[in-house]
Amino acid sequence: MTAAVIHRGFVEKTLTSLLHALERASSSERLAEQRGLLQHVDARVKLLGCLALIVAAAVSRHLDTLTLLFAAIAILALVSRVPLHLLTRAWAIIFVFTAAIALPALFTTPGQSIATVAGIPVTLQGLRSAAFLVDRVESATTLGLVLISTTPWPQIIAALRSLRVPAAVVLIIGMTYRYIFVLLRSAEEMFIARRSRSIGRLEGAVRRRMATATAGVLLGKALALSDEVYLAMQARGFRGEVRTLEELRMRGRDWTAGALFTAAAIVAFWQGLR
Amino acid sequence: MSDSLFDVRGVTFSYDGVPALGGIDLSILRGERVALLGANGSGKSTFLRLLDGLDFAQSGTIDFDGRTLTPGQLDDSSFAHDFRRRVGLVFQNPDVQLFNATVFDELAFGPLQIGWSSDEIRTRIDAVMESLDIARLAARPPHRLSMGEKKRVAIASVLVIHPEVLLLDEPTAALDPRSQSEIINLLSGWSGGTRTAVTATHDLSIVEDIADRCVVFESGRVAAVGTPREIVQNEELLHRTGLLHAHRHRHESGVVHSHPHLHRHGDHHH
Amino acid sequence: MHIPDGYLSPSTCAVLYAGAAPFWAVALRRLQRRLAGRFVPMLALVAAFSFVVMMFNLPLPGGTTGHATGVALATIVVGPAGSIVALSVALLIQALFFGDGGITAYGANCLNMAIVGSLVAWACYRIIAGRAPLTSRLRVVAAAVAGYLAINASALCAAVEFGIQPMLFRDALGTPLYAPYPLHIAVPAMMIGHLTFAGAAEAVLSAGVIAYLQRTNVGLLRDTAPGAVEDASLPAIDVLRPLWLALGALMVLTPLGLLAGGAAWGEWSARDLADPAARARIVAVSGSAPLPSGVPHGLAGLSTVWTAPLRGYAPPFLQSTALGYALSAMFGAGLVLLTVFAIRGMLLKARAR
Repeated sequence: MTAAVIHRGFVEKTLTSLLHALERASSSERLAEQRGLLQHVDARVKLLGCLALIVAAAVSRHLDTLTLLFAAIAILALVSRVPLHLLTRAWAIIFVFTAAIALPALFTTPGQSIATVAGIPVTLQGLRSAAFLVDRVESATTLGLVLISTTPWPQIIAALRSLRVPAAVVLIIGMTYRYIFVLLRSAEEMFIARRSRSIGRLEGAVRRRMATATAGVLLGKALALSDEVYLAMQARGFRGEVRTLEELRMRGRDWTAGALFTAAAIVAFWQGLR
Repeated sequence: MSDSLFDVRGVTFSYDGVPALGGIDLSILRGERVALLGANGSGKSTFLRLLDGLDFAQSGTIDFDGRTLTPGQLDDSSFAHDFRRRVGLVFQNPDVQLFNATVFDELAFGPLQIGWSSDEIRTRIDAVMESLDIARLAARPPHRLSMGEKKRVAIASVLVIHPEVLLLDEPTAALDPRSQSEIINLLSGWSGGTRTAVTATHDLSIVEDIADRCVVFESGRVAAVGTPREIVQNEELLHRTGLLHAHRHRHESGVVHSHPHLHRHGDHHH
Repeated sequence: MHIPDGYLSPSTCAVLYAGAAPFWAVALRRLQRRLAGRFVPMLALVAAFSFVVMMFNLPLPGGTTGHATGVALATIVVGPAGSIVALSVALLIQALFFGDGGITAYGANCLNMAIVGSLVAWACYRIIAGRAPLTSRLRVVAAAVAGYLAINASALCAAVEFGIQPMLFRDALGTPLYAPYPLHIAVPAMMIGHLTFAGAAEAVLSAGVIAYLQRTNVGLLRDTAPGAVEDASLPAIDVLRPLWLALGALMVLTPLGLLAGGAAWGEWSARDLADPAARARIVAVSGSAPLPSGVPHGLAGLSTVWTAPLRGYAPPFLQSTALGYALSAMFGAGLVLLTVFAIRGMLLKARAR
């Protein structure tokens, strides 16, 4: 591989991941605006409900409970109009990734041998352990996907605010999300400019300097922008104390949804720890 | 009480030893619409920041309604509260002006800081969104707005507190012609009575619509003051201060000639 | 290194949340006191920067590419308190919005990357760079070492968290319920990648950006370099520096020695002492000094701290007391480093009075 090809590689790879992040964000933003079951539910209920189910999946000591819980979560995702292709893609990626990590455990976990592969014994404990890992990770990730696909980001911010996360921290979180897009675009523009300017062969050290200089420019921009933003905040009366509007109100269906989440979590806990 | 709202006397300012303003004297009257004209780097943005009490004169003074703007004065919470409620600044870069997660949060930020009640804030936000035709954008995050929408939201985020004085930094820069004219319509409606507007711009084609008086900046000093008509017709002044450049232009016949222009690029000249 | 949900038990997660909480509280209070309202936009922009820079593909020596977290960079520019909060915010957005890192494991990820990472980076940078001028090469070296050690310390924490799962959480059949690998597998598996690629990426990013800032925006380095010598012609004198460097080198070399394989002098395991052939080798390299007969009780006890739960289960080729030994050595060196650093800080404060 020539230096030029490698160089093109790292610029292209970075550009791809930058674009991918932008796409992923806007596609889940669009999804969250659709009309499904969970889209109508208060963000706090969803956040706490999903968290309770993730914990329920995490404490379960039985594979059958875990599998049933996963099935319930999958149904919840489908009735909330999380597109099937998105779900299956996420499941496939997580399965491959987690299975790759869990595979050696089939052989290394001590216990009762149930088969041999290429002369190395596979243990029952190893197999079950891998199943636990895959099942848990799939359940938790699906819940995360359900939460994000049914809740617009600003509502998650509002939920954090009303769950007593300090107002200044919530403001920082919201602002971070806001400026991730600004910096992603800046980084993208810089990489595109570099791609169009450099066609020749570049030494490794030159490529490294180019990548780190881009990061350095970005860091300088970020901090300069933060000074300006502070002025803009002061101009609108900000004096260090963060004030917010109470936005979320619980309605009947939110209480119902909360009750259902609680019931599901209790059943899952009880069955998982039996 | 005098009629002047801002009294600027002998103001200088420099960034890390690089001078930006070299002795400005200027009065801005109550209810007046002033355009600050000047090329990039002539000091007009710096001047707006000083008027808004975000930076402070290194020598000379700026009085607002009889009180001198100093860091100490703006640390005083009752003065700061009053000043921030009466004076609003719209930054040139919407990425600076719009720092909240959604358009609604953006519009609520100023009113929350000056301590309005929730109901008051909601009513006022609805009214401003209605008048600027941005109600459908309320739940949008800023990264999903077009440049023209961003500019309108930026202006709305300041108009929402109903300030007496509107300070604007390049409100029409980087906009397509249609969004430009929307912003101009909005600003030309802002006039008269007790409402004061100071607009920094280098766009000569808009000054007659948005200003009663023009102040021309050149390297941190006031080069000229006059009515928009007087300034726009003073070609020698405009050339000298970098506001006008010879415009090379190819006619359909293929003849190339150059002439000074007062219009936006893209307009057709004959 | 973002730990997803499902790898750690809920109780581990709760403990790690509780461990992270005081750091968050102290960091926030310090920032609020020092910066008033300015910390809000500053941390937001640094968090956004960290998020974006994690996507950079950095060309590494040898022709591959890798990703870095930028933890040392954030620490050097905004200090450890700022870096702890900014990275925690970046991790929260990754967990909530992009599915990188779990929600129950968020406390663990913050503790490993944001908190341990920032503090290790801070200690390394301040110790190595000392009072060197802002544009000194030493600061670039310090940034590289800070990045390298910070990411490795984070990885080690994560590896230990993984590694204790099968010891503590099993069902009636002995099935590991969470991450299935014990310490002697989890630690090398995590560390090999981090001691090489991830560590290199972090060092490249930190050093490269600091060098770039030295040329173009040196003001950004000023806040975290109090007492830096202004005139580059004056040497920055710090008699303790060689000691620090030696200690740092030891910490880096400990795991490398482990990877090189074989037992180094003084690193005999209890098993070596029980094995006649190994005893003969030890006696030979020790100048034929006689060895105590059998295994000293102390050493036997120590070596089982890490490996006790595994003995008798794992296949013999995976059992390693040297690993437990190396872990203890790294933790020990880290503790020594932090203690000495704290004492030095107190001395400096006393002298200032």
